[in-house]
Amino acid sequence: MALKKKIFALPVQITGRTDINRLLRELEQIEQASISNAATKGKAIAAPEPSNMLKQVAAANGYELGSSDGRQQLAAALAKIHDHAPLLHISFASEPSPKVVETLLQWLRSNIHVYTLLQIGLAPAIGAGCVLRTPNKIFDLSLGASLQKQKPYLVQLIKGAALKQQAPAPTAGDK
Amino acid sequence: MDIGGILLIIGAALAAIAAILYFDWRSRGKKLAAKPKDTKAVEASKLAPIVSQTAEQDVEHIFNEDFREELRNRGRLHFEKIIGENAMFLQQDLRQTTTQLNDYMRAEISRTLQMEFKKYEQSIVDAKQLALDSMEKTVTTIEQQRQLLETQMQTQTEAERNQIIARFEEQLAGIVNHYVMQAIGNQIDLSDQLEFIIAELENNKAAILEDIKRGA
Repeated sequence: MALKKKIFALPVQITGRTDINRLLRELEQIEQASISNAATKGKAIAAPEPSNMLKQVAAANGYELGSSDGRQQLAAALAKIHDHAPLLHISFASEPSPKVVETLLQWLRSNIHVYTLLQIGLAPAIGAGCVLRTPNKIFDLSLGASLQKQKPYLVQLIKGAALKQQAPAPTAGDK
Repeated sequence: MDIGGILLIIGAALAAIAAILYFDWRSRGKKLAAKPKDTKAVEASKLAPIVSQTAEQDVEHIFNEDFREELRNRGRLHFEKIIGENAMFLQQDLRQTTTQLNDYMRAEISRTLQMEFKKYEQSIVDAKQLALDSMEKTVTTIEQQRQLLETQMQTQTEAERNQIIARFEEQLAGIVNHYVMQAIGNQIDLSDQLEFIIAELENNKAAILEDIKRGA
């Protein structure tokens, strides 16, 4: 039987390390509850209900949350992603909606890295757009930067307008 | 003729008169004092006192006091006449000399004055020319300085104007950018910005990938 390395599917709802940490805590709580049940033999301790996100992750990657092995494998995969996935910091002028974050994350995971994680921040001064910070660089994708890039064109427009203002008004003969 | 020449003439005339009178007096004295020196003269000397006496008597008879006085008068008159004539000549000569001297002095003074006036005139002309040249040079220099200053001022003004315009355009661009950001930045929903953000991400995709690879 040929071993096929399966790519871990990371849903776009998991945006950053915080989400992964939450899933890992959830898995740990379930594991603790399972161990406690086995130890008490009959006096069942109510295990915490897995969140939808955890269920979704487990289902997407074929892990059984009911089995200890499945939980441990999932935890190991998530921990690996937590430690090794590229983390990008992105700032917006206002709090982004989940839809916006998901769209961006989808693009990043499709084009940059399949396990890209995001850390979202706020920078009201940028007006519009965003500022993306990679491990070594900062990409200013804001409206201010875009306007700054277009400054020569704006100056050209202003100059043209000023020259038009200075030029004598066309006479009837010119028309 | 100068005054020294005139005085020399007068002196010469007076000396000539004095010499004439002296020689006249000596010749008369010698004639009267002459004596015989030979034997005949000895003999004659015997007769000499007689002759002498006779001669003295004759001489005294001829040259008596009246006659001498007359001769003196005649000599005095003759002397006065000569003196008068010479004085007249001297006066004429003196007048002529004075006239000539005046003419000469006038001519010399006029000539000297003319020369000095010419020199003075030439000096004035030279000084005038010098002053004109100097003024011309000064005017040329001032004109050159003015043109240089004008050019410098024009260049400086142009540079300042361009600088002010550039600064104004720069500031105006900044003001417009700031205004646009303030006016519409917060009004645009992030969902509407998604297209712009993704386009910008697409533009920087290669750089982001490169940095992530390097960071990893």
